[in-house]
Amino acid sequence: MTTSWDDLQTIHLSALQEIGNIGAGNAATALAQMLNTTINMSVPKSGVLPIEDMLKLVGKEEDIVACTYCQIMGDVKGSIFFLLTEESAYKLVRLLAGDAILDNQEMTMSALQEIGNILAGNFLTAFTQFTNLSLTQSVPALAFDMLGAVLSGALLEGGHWADKVLIIETEFFAQGDALNGHFFLVPTMDSLKKILNALGLEI
Amino acid sequence: MGKRVLIVDDAAFMRMMIKDILTKNGYEVVAEAENGAVAVELYKEHKPDVVTMDITMPEMDGIQAVKAIRAFDPSANIIMCSAMGQQAMVMEAIQAGAKDFVVKPFQQDRVLQAVARATGS
Repeated sequence: MTTSWDDLQTIHLSALQEIGNIGAGNAATALAQMLNTTINMSVPKSGVLPIEDMLKLVGKEEDIVACTYCQIMGDVKGSIFFLLTEESAYKLVRLLAGDAILDNQEMTMSALQEIGNILAGNFLTAFTQFTNLSLTQSVPALAFDMLGAVLSGALLEGGHWADKVLIIETEFFAQGDALNGHFFLVPTMDSLKKILNALGLEI
Repeated sequence: MGKRVLIVDDAAFMRMMIKDILTKNGYEVVAEAENGAVAVELYKEHKPDVVTMDITMPEMDGIQAVKAIRAFDPSANIIMCSAMGQQAMVMEAIQAGAKDFVVKPFQQDRVLQAVARATGS
């Protein structure tokens, strides 16, 4: 039986949202621990979206963003993205390591990459505890470029050729609205079935 | 004379953070490696008292590096330091010969405690 995105029902999306909630909650806790501050997150959204709509959730195509991207391997295949606006990226690094680090471009990039790595690791740990699936993540890649270029490049590399992707999305806030981060989990269609089955749902 | 440490992590930033914590507390960081393969070479060269080891790294991952180092020196003291805190991953690392497992993000005290315990100091 072939499955398409159109077969996803409310119950499926709600299950995926819950995964997003637990995973992103863990990631937010990790971020708060790193920064020694309170991190709030929005209620996760999940849905099947055209790629261009995923882009619109973050900003405009020409906006400069920092994107950490990890491939997920093992029982589930897919991608994890952590996107920060340029301003938020610098703010985050400053909160983490102080003003002086911004003079060192290489160290700033490394800090951003490591933040993405830690968030993805904590997200996946929660994910595996919840689903009993076994996963590993690739070495994270960091891109600092225009939103459109960053997302299309990463989605192609992750093998998401279809014009639609399933996303589980959460926004992070630190100290009011000053930190604007988006977290996306994008599983492949085959993996989506495995995730839902692991949660006791048929598709 | 402080205990001698080898820090292994592909992120320069994370190496800097760990180095900072350890040197402030009397340890001597003798070398840093950005992947498992380099770590194995540097271990042989420096014979440190303890190694902090990331897992997800290019070239050779941390689990493979633990196995290679323990094959060379069965008494090597290695502490995993990874963002991947999954149970299966922890078990694999311990079976490979790691003495402890610190999940990132970590508190300074947790790192110091692990290093002190691994070196018996």
